[in-house]
Amino acid sequence: MSQLSSTELFQFILAITVMLGFGKGFGELFRKLKQAPVVGEIIAGIILGPTILGYFFPDLLKFVFPESGPVGYSLEAITQLSILFLLLAVGLEVDLGILIRYGKSALITTFYGMLIPFIFGFAVAFLIPQFFIDNPDERLIFALFLGTALSISALPIIARTLLDLNIFRTKLGMMIIASAMFNDLIGWIAFSIFLSVAEGTGTGLSIVSPIVLILLFTAVMIVIVRKLFHRMIPWVQKELSWPGGIIGFIMVMGLVGALITEKLGMHTILGAFIMGVALGDSVHLRESTREIIQQFITNIFAPLFFVYIGLRINFLTAFDPTIVIIVLVLGFAGKIIGAGYGAYKGGFGKNESFAVGFAMNSRGVLEIILSLFALEMGIINESLFVGIIFLVVISSILSGPLIKLSLGKDKLKGFVQLLSSEDIVISNAVSKRDAVMELVELACSKHKLDKTNVFNEVWKREESLSTGIENHLAIPHAKIDIKKPIAVIALNKDGLNFEAADNELSKIIVLLLTPKNENELQLKLLSEVANLFADKTNSKEIINSDSSEEILSKLVKIKSRME
Amino acid sequence: MGNMGIPFKKIGLAITFSPTGKALLYEAGRLVKLFAAEIVLIHNGEKTLEAETKLAELIESAGFNFSSVNIEWVKGDIADTIINKAVEKNVDLLLVGALEKENIIKYYSGSVARKIMRQAGCSVLVLTSPSETPVSFKKFCVSVDYSMQSENAIKTAYDLAMLEKAEKLILIREIQAPGLAMTVQDSGSMREVELARQTWAKEEKDKMEMLIKEMNLTEIDIETHCLYGKEGYEANKFVEQINGDIFVVPAPQKKLKLFDRIFQHDFEFTLKQIPCPVLIIRNPGK
Repeated sequence: MSQLSSTELFQFILAITVMLGFGKGFGELFRKLKQAPVVGEIIAGIILGPTILGYFFPDLLKFVFPESGPVGYSLEAITQLSILFLLLAVGLEVDLGILIRYGKSALITTFYGMLIPFIFGFAVAFLIPQFFIDNPDERLIFALFLGTALSISALPIIARTLLDLNIFRTKLGMMIIASAMFNDLIGWIAFSIFLSVAEGTGTGLSIVSPIVLILLFTAVMIVIVRKLFHRMIPWVQKELSWPGGIIGFIMVMGLVGALITEKLGMHTILGAFIMGVALGDSVHLRESTREIIQQFITNIFAPLFFVYIGLRINFLTAFDPTIVIIVLVLGFAGKIIGAGYGAYKGGFGKNESFAVGFAMNSRGVLEIILSLFALEMGIINESLFVGIIFLVVISSILSGPLIKLSLGKDKLKGFVQLLSSEDIVISNAVSKRDAVMELVELACSKHKLDKTNVFNEVWKREESLSTGIENHLAIPHAKIDIKKPIAVIALNKDGLNFEAADNELSKIIVLLLTPKNENELQLKLLSEVANLFADKTNSKEIINSDSSEEILSKLVKIKSRME
Repeated sequence: MGNMGIPFKKIGLAITFSPTGKALLYEAGRLVKLFAAEIVLIHNGEKTLEAETKLAELIESAGFNFSSVNIEWVKGDIADTIINKAVEKNVDLLLVGALEKENIIKYYSGSVARKIMRQAGCSVLVLTSPSETPVSFKKFCVSVDYSMQSENAIKTAYDLAMLEKAEKLILIREIQAPGLAMTVQDSGSMREVELARQTWAKEEKDKMEMLIKEMNLTEIDIETHCLYGKEGYEANKFVEQINGDIFVVPAPQKKLKLFDRIFQHDFEFTLKQIPCPVLIIRNPGK
């Protein structure tokens, strides 16, 4: 076996050090700026590559990152390995059970969320190929590429955005996650088929057999091999060192998957991805193991891969504003319309459907990998590749703010965000009944509800079990026929008897009205209000207020203090 | 908080001549007394004099008065006939015996007990080791998901626990956030992910405490547990670990099919490995 010379070894280690150092550094910087680290890592690559470093110090670029020769090949091999592990990590997080549970709505969202962008991409590429490629005769394969590239979403960025917005575990959040997982699964199978077609067009081979093979491989892995892993993983976790044993097992299995697909004539990435799905679905795989694997891959292989992207292309010379705009418009319009329409068909309201569209519009590593392959196969040129990178960067930056915009404050936050100063009164009521009526009238006049009906519901609940809570708090409440929760507050400084457990009179009276079919929302808001005043000093603070504005501003402060 | 509890006024039991069948009859006898209920015995087989005599002996040995017991003779697919007869006779609770775990072929093809658990039109009590000297349930575990069906399950479990003078009622809420581990890709912080999990767990505990207050469940010692992991699987494991005497679950809201067995989720985990006696709460007519 020939070896790297001392200089080549130095060059190789230097290249990896610089790539990892800059990639991680910029990733961390972007994380601090509340942006996706992937964007920082790509920018690190642009700085280190022909765009900036190569422009000012071309010789230095050639020395540190040679394109050919043993060091160039080694870097290329590292990148290929990074792609495999990135795909393994994506596969590990696909939860097949949740796909079945959210089946219909997730499936409809995924279907339209992939179909519409695919049609947009395919149609534009097929009808006006001259904008993007030199040889219009290759329009079919190019159209397939653009359609596929635009139809894939980025699960990690979506998950992160949902976590930041505190809607991860809501019905909407879980449906988005399930759809993104469906999207990944279908997207990668479609991508493998696309690669087979692309490779088949050159050789004249039938495209039917690779498609059958891909589907068969996926089915066998997901139905049979997954069950085998389910039995093996407890043994691996128990008998081998932890977490080294299980991490090694998963990484090796990912590579085995890649080897199998390569041997069967499919692309290695499908093997790594599907192997990830088969492994990750096991209930025995500990959450901490998943996180350690994600950490390992994210911190080592992801920066190497994303920096490599920047090294490969001169972003300045390849930048074509027309192409960037077309890709952005197609990408945004296709995904937002498609996934949004799918969510709407799946039973979500207008604003929530938009939120689904914006969330699913997040693009990431998968588009980049797909585009890199297409670039290497000569299907696309560097300008389109840059256009896709722009789509990834801009869609990931805009995803969070757009979801926020579409959902509005009431869906994202809790009790305090439901309130404005108009919803708070200083009450002089002398009985519990009068106080409840005063609050019901306040809520009903603002939200145009029938006050007799609402009062009857609230009073029925109040009579069944009084709603006085400790620390001068009472929360009369009811579930009524409304779409969004309503909260109003009365401050009664004399206090009223709501039969609180601590025998104190209730001075802060919160009326909470929630939609009829949302049991969990009611419990969430009730416990949130109770927690807000679980500390006596918080109650005192509110009781010592003289106006609704003062109460509201104190509530906001208490809430932020508790967070 | 909605319609509370389901009274079990008519208990159905598919009677067989096996030792398990005899034990189930004793268990049914205990429940009939406990609920002051009526019993409907369903026997799948030809109505012959010999079978009738044998059945009479069996029934009387379990303390029932043969002449006053309603016996339904059915023929055909065992599970289907039991399910249909239970609907016809307005049975509130079907009692069935089941193996804790079945072999892979039986599990996927669907055994009699599993089919009844999946498809019965009423509540089902599944006993894995019925005994001729039945004992009361002392440690009740209930799966919580805040749906109306779940509220009914909690209330039924509570009422039953009161009847049984149980030691404890344990409410179990499972939370799962698939894809959460992936957010470390973006945030790079496992601490942040852990913090999110802890916050969710606290929110769930608070909600369960609030639910207990709302439902006015004050007469018994109630514990709440929030488990993180695959929903269905984690609760099952937990009930097994703490040696729960009975696991009360709301029936799944959609019909479970072969696909659900291949890609297990939620209730299918309980069907795959029954941790202890399981009471599946289903509103009649659903």
